[in-house]
Parts: sequence; structure tokens; C-alpha cells
Amino acid sequence: MASIPSEIVTTQRPVAEAIPASKRDYPGALVVVEGIDGSGKSTQLYLLKRWLEIGGYRIHFTEWNSSPLVKSATRRGKQRRLLTPTTFSLLHAADFADRCERQILPLLQGGYLVLADRYIYTAFARDAARGCSPHWLRNLYSFAPVPDITFYFRAPLDVAVNRIVAGRPKLKYYEAGMDLGISLDRAESFRIFQERILNNYDQMVQTDHFVLMDGTMRVNRLQKQMRQIVTERVDLDPFAPKKAVKKK
Amino acid sequence: MKRAKKVTELMASSNGGPEKRAKNGASAKNVSRKKNGANGNGRAESFPRFYGTPLPGVKPEELSGSLIVVEGTDGSGRSTQISLLTEWLESEGFAVETMGLRRSFLVGEDIDALLAENSVTRMTLALMYGTDFFDQLERRILPALRSGLIVLADRYIFTLIARAAVRGIGRDYLHGIYEIALRPELTFWLNVRPEVAFDREFKKSQTISYWESGRDMSLSNDLFQSFIRYQSMIKREFEYLSKRHGFIELDGEGSVSEVNRELRQRIASHLGIRRTQYKPSHALAHLWR
Repeated sequence: MASIPSEIVTTQRPVAEAIPASKRDYPGALVVVEGIDGSGKSTQLYLLKRWLEIGGYRIHFTEWNSSPLVKSATRRGKQRRLLTPTTFSLLHAADFADRCERQILPLLQGGYLVLADRYIYTAFARDAARGCSPHWLRNLYSFAPVPDITFYFRAPLDVAVNRIVAGRPKLKYYEAGMDLGISLDRAESFRIFQERILNNYDQMVQTDHFVLMDGTMRVNRLQKQMRQIVTERVDLDPFAPKKAVKKK
Repeated sequence: MKRAKKVTELMASSNGGPEKRAKNGASAKNVSRKKNGANGNGRAESFPRFYGTPLPGVKPEELSGSLIVVEGTDGSGRSTQISLLTEWLESEGFAVETMGLRRSFLVGEDIDALLAENSVTRMTLALMYGTDFFDQLERRILPALRSGLIVLADRYIFTLIARAAVRGIGRDYLHGIYEIALRPELTFWLNVRPEVAFDREFKKSQTISYWESGRDMSLSNDLFQSFIRYQSMIKREFEYLSKRHGFIELDGEGSVSEVNRELRQRIASHLGIRRTQYKPSHALAHLWR
């Protein structure tokens, strides 16, 4: 090791650790859902959002890869297939940084309950499946606030893949992981790619304190469970309408 | 800005260390064979191509070309020197490829658009520059180096690190992003005082740009003061980076021909070029002063 110059290799490794509400420097809270495509996470987050919206809570919903800022670059890169694992990852990180700095952080500071459909763990699982170093990815996203709850929706690979393939006439190039050169068959490539991502997610359950959700359960039962966990783990009073004036 | 809690672990290079060392050893052999006369900086013997884990899918031993970086603030004369060096190397029979900031096909124009708007935040901008850098590196520079070309970089990761660091982004964070980057064989720093840089930049465009004067940082409403303070901060970052990365510091306030002679001597000894005499062609004569 002595022969390897280390002027740029950093020794510090960020590790996501849940920060208790009393130690956070913002009054808001962050709830995220993660899981592979077809795991049911978006449906469940939508239902959670509806429940809170109807109740009049101060919430904001945010999605992965939604900012107009990098849209043209992402489109250009995807259409012409110019993206490497590294530039794919950095472009999504830039997009996330924009959302983080201009939406998520100000809203958390302004006392909102922020709901995120996919978060940094999507990048950890997906970009590592493409070959990026997990250590590099952890550092890249170390500016992101750590969620109060990370729901991980887990469905068996076959269930999830069938949900996606059945509903979509054609899988997109990067979506199917075709850039990895695993298989020339898109459906096959997609399956293997999703399997790698699933394995990467599974490895984060312990280290990143995921709340494991069974994606094969009936939608309404799963939602009931999700609402219960949110109520237990996040103090919803500060986000509630009117009576929110009482301070902790 | 909230940072995830950091813990110290073993260094990444200790995992898979032996493999990396073997690879680097192999590449070092190629380098020293190719450049027999190389004794310029004494690094050619055991020169790892990457700072840490190489970019995904890259084999360091395949890279036979040389990466040479010229760094310096706005108005330090970098671009002039790169033009002259390109011509000199080509006249010596070396094929040259260049890189710089915002020149990637992927996001170069997007960054221009972001800069024009002045509403982009620091982290997003830093990561867009990172994307721009790696797009050039992976799709243009690595292929050039595999083909044995000399790559002259008009700025490199150091400017990107310095600019982001003065805006409060952690140095460790920034070094972490660029630890997968290719390490230059030579890095020159054309050092000029901010006042001199101001004169040169003003002469060039009759005005001072928003970003060159760091106006996004609210340093001063006085444009001159803002420019000087911003460039002084950048310069301090470079002083730190120079120690950490072993820059070859040159006095950028010397005449173009003086600075050029210095650069040619260093590069010639590194590449094993014996003759270092050079007079710019007609096309570049206007740069020679």
C-alpha cells in the first residue's frame, strides 16, 4: 500500500445513519420509497401522499429524475447512447443535487414532510450494478440528507419483472441495462440487470436501516401497514393543519 | 448543507491493492520503455495511471500516451501556451489531443446555458462539470491515450476542485469524485497575481465576467474587488493543491516566449525529445510576445 500514492484517495467514508429528530438541523422530515421497478413502491407512495394530502398535512412529493435542468443532456445521452456508467451516474447526481438544493433541503428547513419516490439508494443499487464503485457512489451522494424512513418494497424478481414487461411494449435501452452488454435480448438483459439491482438493495437493508415491505401483499393491506409505520416513526403533529402551532 | 456522517475506514486502495499494484507496475514499465530519456521528474519509474480505483472498464496498461496538464486561473496564459505547445509537439512528430472545460458533447452546451442563467446552485454546477470532465475523459481522452497520443489539458480536475472548494464544498468530497480520474504525468501551474490576471482579462474582453469575478459568492458589489478576492481564494486553493499533487509551478507573469521555453524544456525531458528549439509558425506568431 505504501507504493500507492494517495494524494487523491480519501480515507473518510460516509455511511448513512439515521439521525434522530432532535439532532437534525431542520424541522422537516423525509420519507422515501425504494425498490426495483414493478415492486409496487410508487403506488404505495401515491396512496400515502393521498392520505396526507386529504388530511391537509404540509407535504411535498418529489420524484427521481424529474428536473428540467439535465433533461436535455439526459435525453441526448440516452438517444445517442453516449452514457458510460460514470457519466450516467454523475448526470443523475447533478439532477438530484438540483432537486436537493432547490427543493428538498429548503422544504425540510421550512418544516415540510417530504415524500420521495426513489432516493440515493436507487443510485447506489443501479449504478453499482453498472460497475461504479460503491465507495465512490457513497461519497458522491454524501451531501444528501438521510431519510427518517426508507421503505424498501421487495417483490420476487419474477413478479416484478412480469409486472413491468407485461405493461410495456418495449423496454428502453438503458432501462434494460443494454449498455452493460449482458444479453442482446432486451427482456433477458432487463431481468439480469434487475436481479443485480435487487441484490444490491438487499445488501443495504441492514446498513441503511431499510423498512422491509412485502410487495406481494394486497395493496390496501400494505398501505395500512405503511401508514401505521409512518405514524409510529414520524411525529406528524408539526405537519398537521392548524393545530401545528404547538411547538415541541 | 447537511452532510452524511462520515466514518474512517480502511482506505479503498488496500482492497485489491496487490492487483492494482501489479497493473500499475506493468504500465510503468511501458512508460519507461517508451520514454527512455525520461528523468525529468523522477516519477516515470513507478507511475500509477490512476489516483485510486480506475474508471469502470479501463485497463491502465493499455494507455501508452501521455497526459500533460496546464493549470492556472483566468488570465494566466494557459490557452496561449497550449496552442503553442500543440504546434511544437506536432512539429516534433507527436500527435496531440486537447481537452478543456465545457468541451464535452454530452453536457458542454448545457453548462453554458446554466452559467448564462446564474440560477444554478453550487453542487449541481460542480457535478455538471464533473459529468463534462468524465465525458471528455472516457470518450475522447482515453481512446487518444490508448493510441499513444499526447494529451494537453487546458485545465483539469484541479480547477474544478478549486472552484467548488471556495464555494464551500468539502475538499475530501471533491477528491472523492475525481479519485477515479486519470493522473497526469506532468501538471504545470502558471501562477499569476490576481491583479495581473485582471489586466489581462480586461484587455481581452473589455469587461469582467460574472463567474470570473465570483459574483455568485456575494464577495463585494465592487466588480474589481470581487474579482481580486475571488481569484485570491482560487489561488490559495491552488497553493494547497500544488503541495498535495506536486505541481510544477511556473511564473505565469513572464513573457509568452519565456514561459513557453520553460514548458518545452520540462516536457522535452519528460518525453525524451532532444531538440527543444521552436519558433511559432506564421499562424501563431501573434501569440509570441
